[in-house]
Amino acid sequence: MIRRLYVHNFRCLENFDLTLREPAVLLIGKNGAGKSTVSVALEILQKIARGINRVGDLVKPKDTTRGHTDVPIRFEIEIELGGHIYSYVIAFEFLEGFRELRVLEERLAVNGNPVYTRQQAEVNLARMGRQPEGRFRIDWHLVALPVVQEQTQEDPLYIFKRHLARVLILRPIPALISGDSEGESPWPNAQVTDFGAWLSGLLVYAPAAYGVIEKYLKQVLPDLRDIKNERVGKDARSIMVQFSSDMGTLQLPFKDLSDGEKCYMISAMAIGANEAYGPQICLWDEPDNYLAIDEVGDFILALRRAFESGGQLIATSHNPEAIRSFSRENTFFLYRKSHLEPTIIRPVEDLNVGGDLVSALIRGDVEP
Amino acid sequence: MSVNRNRTHLLVLPEDDKNLQLATGFALESANRQIRPLPVAGGWRAVLQRFQFEHVAKMQQFPGRLMVLLIDFDRSHDRLAEVKGVVPGHLADRVFVLGTWTEPEDLKKAGLGSYETIGRSLARDCRFNTNTTWTHELLRHNAEELARLCKCIQPILIQ
Repeated sequence: MIRRLYVHNFRCLENFDLTLREPAVLLIGKNGAGKSTVSVALEILQKIARGINRVGDLVKPKDTTRGHTDVPIRFEIEIELGGHIYSYVIAFEFLEGFRELRVLEERLAVNGNPVYTRQQAEVNLARMGRQPEGRFRIDWHLVALPVVQEQTQEDPLYIFKRHLARVLILRPIPALISGDSEGESPWPNAQVTDFGAWLSGLLVYAPAAYGVIEKYLKQVLPDLRDIKNERVGKDARSIMVQFSSDMGTLQLPFKDLSDGEKCYMISAMAIGANEAYGPQICLWDEPDNYLAIDEVGDFILALRRAFESGGQLIATSHNPEAIRSFSRENTFFLYRKSHLEPTIIRPVEDLNVGGDLVSALIRGDVEP
Repeated sequence: MSVNRNRTHLLVLPEDDKNLQLATGFALESANRQIRPLPVAGGWRAVLQRFQFEHVAKMQQFPGRLMVLLIDFDRSHDRLAEVKGVVPGHLADRVFVLGTWTEPEDLKKAGLGSYETIGRSLARDCRFNTNTTWTHELLRHNAEELARLCKCIQPILIQ
């Protein structure tokens, strides 16, 4: 699970330090407070682990806070995995006259022991087992993490990259999810527009995940009969969902499901993926969007149960039912006085909010 | 789909935010969707009012519905009788009055962990017939109500 995420000079996040102790965490705050920016920051690290290493594809000069291009953009993450703390740091700098940012500093360490360090173009590999120390130079506009060669599947570099790559960052837009796909993908994009490819990829890697997906879906959609990812062309597939009751059966293309039902499908996939690849980290930006009010509490509790056994769920929300499904010790309040000031983050239990938290939020009485 | 109202399900009506956090921990220990913490009432008297005006009729409609009124006893020996006094006789078997002898903050101060942790531990006690947390001096007055409740909700907790 993520123990710490530090971000500096990235959009509204300045000297932003999120320290986590809990396997389930909720980020709350007004619109524009920076909740979604946290997911964007984590997504940059996830993309690096997934192999995107061109700096220009990750961050741009306009991502600096209020145009402070003279200050490096810095991301630091600490992940606890298998009893070890993996810490990764990357900082980007901008030089006048260039169009892109470049890497200033990069470092991966396990329990404080470096795996590799990098200053600008020079990468230093630490001694690992029988592998001697090493050194190489790399283009300043490329991140080193994806290109440093791991030796085995026990290599901390491999373990860290695989775990970070599998972090689920979800900001689904159901209207854009058709269920049609070409090929397979082991993970979804943030908008989950590649749902079909994700379903194919997950079931190819871990067919047993279907049992988990089906069990969850039959709890929330009791009339669900079957999900078929049917071949509709040489490389193309399209998901069909079948429902049945005493009145007969109904087969619907995935795209015709309601937005809320699509979110149930995504939740089922996330839980199935966690079972298959887990423990996983899942950051879901407003998971309660599109759900009926009587569904929200159970939806959140089901996600919490699934990801708390070894994984981690980080959610953002404005929804009273979602907020009530967390507690003060695992809820953080993000606040920004104006667009010219940085995001402040505080654990809700430190805010001395008397009475009902939801009522206090509705009154606008919660302040850091 | 939300709680299946045609099967046994438990609604927890908490007095305040701290009790809600206990209820959330309790619900997290259930593997299904049949335990539902409700929004806070805002005081134990408000729990009674809300129960009378919002829940009595619905409990009659749904025989599988169980309710916990989760209140603070504030060291009052009369509180249980006072609360039970508003529960119609024909619903008495399905309504349970539970709570901390003083207030939940004292459970936290006593080192039992966060409210959620305490709620989880209370649910595990019900599920496995153990007495790790319910026998705490601030909770043991619940014994009789708890015995009734655990018997009713074990199927939900175990499923």
